[in-house]
Amino acid sequence: MRAIRLRLNGELACGLGLLALFAVVAICAPLLAPYDPHAFTSQPLERPGPAHPLGANDVGQDILSELIYGARVSLAIAASAATGTVALGTLVGGAAGYTGGWLDELSMRLVDVLMTLPRLPLLILLAAFLGAGPVQTATTIALLFWPATARVIRARVQALRQRGYVRMARGFGGGPGYVLLRHILPEIGPLAAAALVTAAGRAVAMEAGLAFLGLGDPTAKSWGLMIRFALNLSGLLLTDRWLWWLLPPGVCITLLILALTFTGMGLERAWHPGLEHL
Amino acid sequence: MMLRQVSRHLPQRLAGYLLTLWIVLTVNFLLPRLLPGDPLAALLDPQNSDYVFDAEVRATLEAYYGLDRPLPEQYARYLTGAVTGDLGRSIRLNQPVGELIASHLPWTLLLTLTALGLASLLGVWGGAAAAWKRGSFTDRALAAASVVIGNTPVYFVGMMLLILFGARLRWLPLAGGRTPFAHYDTLPAAVADVGKHLLLPALTLALAMVGAKFLLVRNSMVGVLGENFMLVARAKGLSAGRLKWAHALRNAILPFVAHLAAHASMAITGAVFIETLFSYPGMGRLIFEAVGARDYPVIQGVFLVVSMVVLTANLLADVLNARLDPRLREA
Repeated sequence: MRAIRLRLNGELACGLGLLALFAVVAICAPLLAPYDPHAFTSQPLERPGPAHPLGANDVGQDILSELIYGARVSLAIAASAATGTVALGTLVGGAAGYTGGWLDELSMRLVDVLMTLPRLPLLILLAAFLGAGPVQTATTIALLFWPATARVIRARVQALRQRGYVRMARGFGGGPGYVLLRHILPEIGPLAAAALVTAAGRAVAMEAGLAFLGLGDPTAKSWGLMIRFALNLSGLLLTDRWLWWLLPPGVCITLLILALTFTGMGLERAWHPGLEHL
Repeated sequence: MMLRQVSRHLPQRLAGYLLTLWIVLTVNFLLPRLLPGDPLAALLDPQNSDYVFDAEVRATLEAYYGLDRPLPEQYARYLTGAVTGDLGRSIRLNQPVGELIASHLPWTLLLTLTALGLASLLGVWGGAAAAWKRGSFTDRALAAASVVIGNTPVYFVGMMLLILFGARLRWLPLAGGRTPFAHYDTLPAAVADVGKHLLLPALTLALAMVGAKFLLVRNSMVGVLGENFMLVARAKGLSAGRLKWAHALRNAILPFVAHLAAHASMAITGAVFIETLFSYPGMGRLIFEAVGARDYPVIQGVFLVVSMVVLTANLLADVLNARLDPRLREA
């Protein structure tokens, strides 16, 4: 297998650094969080103080602990939904690009249909009928977001198929399984990795958005749900409470999405230096 | 290049959109009926927590879904209903879904079209200006700002604007599409009130979309500026303004128009969040409230109509594309 060389650039370093930070927070959540995020540890709506650096929410749970545990929810959904999206996209795109013919025609029609449909209303419809939960959220995101990956992978596989060494391997009797594993897969690896990071960014945004709309897991301590509960308190925006209740989860969601976007941009730049903006 | 090839065949595109519409209708029909747990039957089952107590509403629900009939007959009835505008009755409001949508759709169209216009103007103008001075500090700052703002959740941007202009400075109203119970004596007064309520939501949605438009126009313009015909135009001694706007932008705008269809879908996504945040009386707010009340006919109706709006926008973008780019009209 060809070794993938990766030159670190600004975007990549910035993105990966932030991602590592979020990952550490998520993994070490029990060590870092001052309280159990589900426990009622103070008076409702307590203001920030030495015991509760970011105060407490409307039922008396520590906001800082909620925030720290929220990283787990976001990263778990991002990882599972993105893996599903890219696996499905690579499978469909790879099969379509490699075999061509009616399979290609059919799957690309399906891609067209899914890419034109308004995704959020469809996601809301699915969530309304399938119920809210981490598994449902990750599955529906994967089912709706694979077409972008499939399109990219298909184009690449189609181009690879015409390469001399691939045609030679097939001429010497290499079956589709052998050729795909030995020659095609290593070539589309970087592409799939970039798609994975992009899909993870979308998944974070979608998960937080669904939670904000009340379609997430109501028991999970996610950032989107924190924003939803904060906004439910009437008059929140008129006091200064938004500073420690609304701003931190919003900033966390944004930073995580930006970290994934920067990593994606960095990967693209590291692998295709020629594509750099003029 | 691929986009251009595709839009060469408008009739083929139209057939594709009709196929998509049929798939939307079928998904809408099958989804609640094939799922385990039978969410529709739950509405009519006295043992279930979702049971609808109002006998009149229950009767209309039973008549609309017709769950006791064979599946093909239900499907035929559903399709005829959808074609004639019968989308069922809202469980929560006991009102025809068609009527509800008719009263909410104009608000969403007002919001999304205003935001699209605003974002397009800013994106095209900023993108062209940045490409003209490519590599400058302004160019880099605008590109970085576009990435950041494009990746910030739209409801978070909306909240910050709401806190600043609504709660702190008190320049603009916090929520709604117009002042409740307001009675307007003159048309300008009505327009001013609606405009005042529209400003923040539209600005938020425009901000969410402007980054992508800016980057698209900027990069396409940078490509055009390097073309030979630009060198010739410059050699003819044309003014900078004519070079930039009449020669370069005219060509650089084509990919932007080609992406307009994708922007329609983006605008709808943004509108759902923004209408929820600002309590704006559009389709997004309608579907949000329907989700909370498990009002299935409304959720399905909104999904169908929003899909139709997006498909129409796609078709319009194809036609506009063919008109703007003479190369697409041949063949």
